[in-house]
Amino acid sequence: MLEIENLHVRVAGKKILDGLNLTVEDGQVAAIMGPNGSGKSTLSYVVAGRADYEVEQGSIKLDGADILEMSPAERAARGLFLVFQYPLEIPGVATMTFLKAALNAQRKARGEAELPTLEFMKQVRAAAAKLNISQDMLKRPVNVGFSGGEKKRMEVLQMALLEPRFAILDEMDSGLDIDALKTCAEGVNALRGEGRSLLVITHYQRLLNFIPPDVVHVMSRGKIVRSGGPDLALALEATGYADYTEGAAA
Amino acid sequence: MTALAPNPAEEDLATFLPADASPSARLFFDQFRKAGLPNRRVESWHYSDLRARLRAVPPLARAPDEAARAVARQKLAAGAFLRVVTVDGFYAPELSDDFSAVAGVEIIRAGEADFAGETADALLDLNAALARGGFVLDIAAGARVETVIEIVALAGAETDRSRFGRNLIRLGAGAHAKIVETRDEGFAGFGDSALFIALGEDAQLDYACRCRETASVEVQSLNVTLAARANLRSVALLAQTPFLRRQYFVSLAGEGAELQLAGAAILGRTDHADVTLAVRHDAPACTSRETFKYVLGDHANGVFQGKIVVPPHAQKTDGKMMCRGLLLSDEAALSAKPELEIFADDVACGHGAAVTKLDAQQLFYLETRGVPHIEAEKILIDAFAADVFEMLDSEALRDVLRADLSELLGEEKPA
Repeated sequence: MLEIENLHVRVAGKKILDGLNLTVEDGQVAAIMGPNGSGKSTLSYVVAGRADYEVEQGSIKLDGADILEMSPAERAARGLFLVFQYPLEIPGVATMTFLKAALNAQRKARGEAELPTLEFMKQVRAAAAKLNISQDMLKRPVNVGFSGGEKKRMEVLQMALLEPRFAILDEMDSGLDIDALKTCAEGVNALRGEGRSLLVITHYQRLLNFIPPDVVHVMSRGKIVRSGGPDLALALEATGYADYTEGAAA
Repeated sequence: MTALAPNPAEEDLATFLPADASPSARLFFDQFRKAGLPNRRVESWHYSDLRARLRAVPPLARAPDEAARAVARQKLAAGAFLRVVTVDGFYAPELSDDFSAVAGVEIIRAGEADFAGETADALLDLNAALARGGFVLDIAAGARVETVIEIVALAGAETDRSRFGRNLIRLGAGAHAKIVETRDEGFAGFGDSALFIALGEDAQLDYACRCRETASVEVQSLNVTLAARANLRSVALLAQTPFLRRQYFVSLAGEGAELQLAGAAILGRTDHADVTLAVRHDAPACTSRETFKYVLGDHANGVFQGKIVVPPHAQKTDGKMMCRGLLLSDEAALSAKPELEIFADDVACGHGAAVTKLDAQQLFYLETRGVPHIEAEKILIDAFAADVFEMLDSEALRDVLRADLSELLGEEKPA
């Protein structure tokens, strides 16, 4: 489903991704683990389409189509979704207005009719209830005044509504207490299955207890340096990243 | 000081004063002639050099005849509100709705004596000298008018004209009303209009102005007087104005009066909009809030001057003024000048100004949800500007302004 080949990326002149290769199969949940500064968040932003990141070489294909020349919105319409590590606050934009704009923009891009308002409200309410998102939260401006946990639940709500083909979860566990983490993970797990792949990016093994991956990739210095099964994550938890960081613990 | 070179527009304007002008009109005109068109050396006009801008004026608009009313009638779309219509600045009862069924509302043709005598501005003098045939909208003491009243300013002449509207809205003690003013005279003429708003004790007015004037030079003066405990909430949406000066002269004349003044300007091309406030806290314990926002694209130029005067006896004054700009291009500019003149010691007065660009991170966030870049920009611009509508009490007025704003952003993004 997602194929990244020999990806080289600079951010503000500094090389961050250095020949990264990664394939995520249809229906697969892949985890990327790695130390701080290994380029994990850069990878998620580049796949989502951040304009100020300079792609020097390589390709990113979603369902066989090269998405590098596409705008972030075009990528989203093709089924890409990013759960932000730090979701943005947008004062003045009502959450419902935002959700509706997003949903209808994607439907429009796919040549589908806009969702009738009542049907839209119904879908939002149903998805919100599963994530313990109150009506009051839906009435507020996007993420404004939300706690870390509320912001992440709102990200998962958007994911549930937009039903992406491929979702990247960038450090979804950061800023979450254990209860909020469970709620978010349940929301994500409900979306697992055929026709949808997830890329779970994290420092810690903890998140993977709640969202068990099919494969684990270790990232260091801008590339994938090792891949394996779920036990690789457990091994990392025991030994740390010292084996993968040049110069560390030397 | 060197003498100013003659300005042909001033000579044109001199021919507008009719031979049978009243002594008071002559007096106002003499005051205008003495001061001349304001230029950048006049401090309150520093950022809008009218003398440089206005080099000629089109012919004076005449009282509308049947043909003029027909032209105006065509532009008068069916509306939801009860309307008071002016054509080329003249009250047109033939085009206005029948208010006889609305208790406490009376509309009459205005006479010179209806307006307060003193002015502190050359363009207001000019308006006083030349304006004829405006209206007085009277809301009787104690009347609670639930229906929204719309004042519509239209053109009758099908070419450029010089227009001088002069109207008065007067609320008696304890009266409540909701008024929207739609200014859409069209053409590239010269406009110098004045609206007087006088609120009696405990009166409450929600007032929205939709300004779509395309005049090459447009000056709008608002003269507001609030008696004790009166409350005015006023919001103006200014859009795509080639050269607009909107000036507010406000007196919080009675103890405990409350003023909320706000505006949003959506400008592109080489549009120029200057909002200048002179708010006087003439009585103790009055509250004023001023919030003006500018969305500036292309080569647009926004000006905000906010003067708040608190004389020594106006203790317990509470004033806050804010100006914010959103710059969509490197060539757009905003000049903001707050002036607080505070002579009382027990007051809380503050002001602030900020200029920003669209937030790249917020845009990216919206785009990753599938919202195309240009739509994402509109969502953020809308949120920035629409915020000022919230200070209106009337949902109907807020809806009118919201709809105008989305239409503006949909039709033409100011970038």
